[in-house]
Amino acid sequence: MPKKRPCALLALLASGVMLLTGCRSVSSGDGGAAFAPDESCRLVVYTSHKREVYWPIIKEFEERTGIWVEIVEGGTNEILNRIAREAGSPAADVMFGGGVESLESYKDCFTPYRCSEADSIQPRYRAPDDLWIPFSSLPVVLIYNAKLIDPGQVTGWADLFDARFRGKIAFADPGKSGSGFTGLVTLLEAVEGNQEDVLRAFADALANRQLDSSGLVLTTVAEGSNLVGVTLEETALQRIAAGDDIVLIYPDDGTSCVPDGNALVKGAAHKDNAQLFLDFTVSHDVQQMLAERFYRRSVRADVEPAANLAVQEDILLIDYDVAWASRNHDSILTSWIFCLGAEGTP
Amino acid sequence: MKDFLSRSFRNRLFAAFLVVSLVPLLICSALLLQTFRLRLTNDVNAEAREHLDTVSRVMDALYDDFARAAALAENPLIAAALAGDGAEGTQVYNVLFDATEGLRGYARFDLYDAGGRWRYSTQTAPEDTLLPTSWGVLYSASPSGGFLTFVAAEDVTVTQSPLLQGAVLIAGRDGETAGYLLISMYQNGFRQLLDGKYGAQNDLILLNRYWRPVYCAQPSLAASLAPRLRLQLLDGQPLNGASEDFLYSVAYHPPTGLYIILQKPQVFTRGTMNILYAVSLSSALICILFSILMSLQLSRQMFYPIKKLHRAIGEVANNNLDAYVPHNRKDELGQLADRFNGMMVALKHNQEQLVENQQELNAAQIRMLQAQLNPHFLCNTLDTMKWISKINKVPQVALMSTNLADILRFCISPDEFVPLYREVEILQRYMEIQNIRLSDAFAFQLILPIELESCLVPKMILQPIVENAILHGLEGVGNGGVKVEASQPQPGLLQITIADNGRGLPAEMVGRYGDRNRDSCRGHLGLYNIDTILRKHYGAGFGLYLSNRKDGPGAVVTATLPMRVEEDALC
Repeated sequence: MPKKRPCALLALLASGVMLLTGCRSVSSGDGGAAFAPDESCRLVVYTSHKREVYWPIIKEFEERTGIWVEIVEGGTNEILNRIAREAGSPAADVMFGGGVESLESYKDCFTPYRCSEADSIQPRYRAPDDLWIPFSSLPVVLIYNAKLIDPGQVTGWADLFDARFRGKIAFADPGKSGSGFTGLVTLLEAVEGNQEDVLRAFADALANRQLDSSGLVLTTVAEGSNLVGVTLEETALQRIAAGDDIVLIYPDDGTSCVPDGNALVKGAAHKDNAQLFLDFTVSHDVQQMLAERFYRRSVRADVEPAANLAVQEDILLIDYDVAWASRNHDSILTSWIFCLGAEGTP
Repeated sequence: MKDFLSRSFRNRLFAAFLVVSLVPLLICSALLLQTFRLRLTNDVNAEAREHLDTVSRVMDALYDDFARAAALAENPLIAAALAGDGAEGTQVYNVLFDATEGLRGYARFDLYDAGGRWRYSTQTAPEDTLLPTSWGVLYSASPSGGFLTFVAAEDVTVTQSPLLQGAVLIAGRDGETAGYLLISMYQNGFRQLLDGKYGAQNDLILLNRYWRPVYCAQPSLAASLAPRLRLQLLDGQPLNGASEDFLYSVAYHPPTGLYIILQKPQVFTRGTMNILYAVSLSSALICILFSILMSLQLSRQMFYPIKKLHRAIGEVANNNLDAYVPHNRKDELGQLADRFNGMMVALKHNQEQLVENQQELNAAQIRMLQAQLNPHFLCNTLDTMKWISKINKVPQVALMSTNLADILRFCISPDEFVPLYREVEILQRYMEIQNIRLSDAFAFQLILPIELESCLVPKMILQPIVENAILHGLEGVGNGGVKVEASQPQPGLLQITIADNGRGLPAEMVGRYGDRNRDSCRGHLGLYNIDTILRKHYGAGFGLYLSNRKDGPGAVVTATLPMRVEEDALC
């Protein structure tokens, strides 16, 4: 038998099998491809905001600009890590959300942009180098259970060290929660004394117990398993609006007003659209909507906070150094973990 | 592969059967499958297109109705009422209800003033009577008379809220914004409009121009399917990649800016394909099985008779001409076996014929040799001569003619074999004649043991030898003698030696007589004939042996033949 014949036979069989199986992709229904938007009409947004916050803004942005937005959502650190991983060929155009301390720690991933609305933003919220654009101001507040605590019993940070509240303070692990970390740094600034002593005293006040997420702060205070808690104004106000029986106070010994922010990713594929989006996030319409719907304090000077919010002037602000907090993030956390674990030692 | 095929004919048969059965099967399966698939897909696409056209027409009609209703924004009464100049509410409602006649079942119509405060409605007051004018639907309100623009709800899974809203600016007398007409479509409205227009098995999704869900016949699809379709679109992938179980068709509805997506169950689901593949595979397996069985069966049918034939040929090679190939077939192999058997019969017959011919030839030769000495009439003549010589008192002539007559009679007798004593008797008659002829020139001695007298020998074998000795050996020799002696050197063997005291034999004649060629024996025809007769009768092991005497001059001719007595009656 000639040598070529088995090969020809195999080829014949193979082609038969291919005929049998190979035409799956011929099926129709790919008509959608014609409707796909051009690259110039696209924007990829990575966001750490909750859907209820980002969605109306994204949707309005699409309607107004005709730009198709792809959204990738996740936790702040998760998203920032992803952006850092993708630094070589960034998929994201905009980081939407995240405390500015966090954005500051990933400054290599972002490129400065001075937005068109920069002049309308209150100077104290603006980044000195325009690396990020503030989105909303988020004062750290104290909350207490209105049923279990009389008004006036909690007025400031110092009250947390009272023996009555020992082990009854809701505080989110600063290693996991951005608001927990901001709260801890604010506490350090607001309370007089050596950093180590304050941390140790606070750890003692917590009775070595902290919560896994910031959401639990509100929940445990509302249900009474904790009496007081440290959280952000916006979160507290939403829960109050939802009917939780908790009271919000601005500490009389001072608090911080650290904004969250947005930033332009370095090497963004849709840079123009990203800038349009960043402009939009601090536009009057968006900031107004934030104040009205989400009890977020605007970073713009020309947007009044919602009627039930304390006016800015009534809040005593401490000097919160974002850059310092960002730089010392790890060392503060290490000290905190050390103090938390050293409970009971003299 | 090549090794596999060349190793045995059975493998080649198997491969051939496999190709012949599998290739057409595969081609048929593939063609059928493809035809089936193409046909079905075309049908499905055509049907989908039809449904989409129907839905598009419904949407067209709806848009036209909405546009007609939106014309009320140009009514100065409405603008004036919203500007708060004290127009009667009923007048406004009359205008509103007139304009929305026939549409209120599908949609809700509201009038808002310039500040976004709700003022009039075709239904009960909304929960939130204040809408932001710098956000959402009122912000996107199109000027009166222009195209209506529609905005999707933020969360289409909340079916109590409007899914799609369109707003029209109502201009005041001086062109300023006096208010807004808001048209809201709810889940129920869409249902009434679209149900039954797109096939019972199918699902319908309306997406806005950015492929965000607006209306889903099954609300759960808004969260599960719509984002996947959008992702497929943005990734440049075919929509059908969004799900294995469904096919998707799209139509764009420009007036509303909506995309109509029809979801149809996949014609070729994985299950169906698996069944079809399984059937094809099973058929292929059956083909392979049949190929194996057929090749085994056929090769057995071919090889069994061939093996028998092969064995029979082996027997023939071993000289067994009785080899026979039994069979009960009528095909080519049966014919081959028949031919072989026929050939063997013919071969055997030929050989028997050959032996028979040879024997006949031998007998003829012997008879001819004998006939040479058989002139009948000589006997009678010699008898006559005997009597005439007796009358005329010539005793030598009488003796000679008597002896000659005896010899001739002996010659013409029909017996081929005679007892040795008879042979010797005739030899003595011959010697008497020779003695008279040659005047007693030589002596004749005969030694015949009595137990050998009755041994049967071919007749006339001694006389030519003795004659040869007298003519060639004793010629010119004084006191010549011939001695004939019969003996039994070993049981079953008879040996007759004829010795003379003549000149002896030349060296080249010494040895077995039968070993030399015939031409060299031309001068001794007598010896040649005797030797031939002995060998023809008794086989090659017998015959004459020629030598010279060791005890003096002279030759010895020894005839060796098997010992047979008269009772054997060989002939």
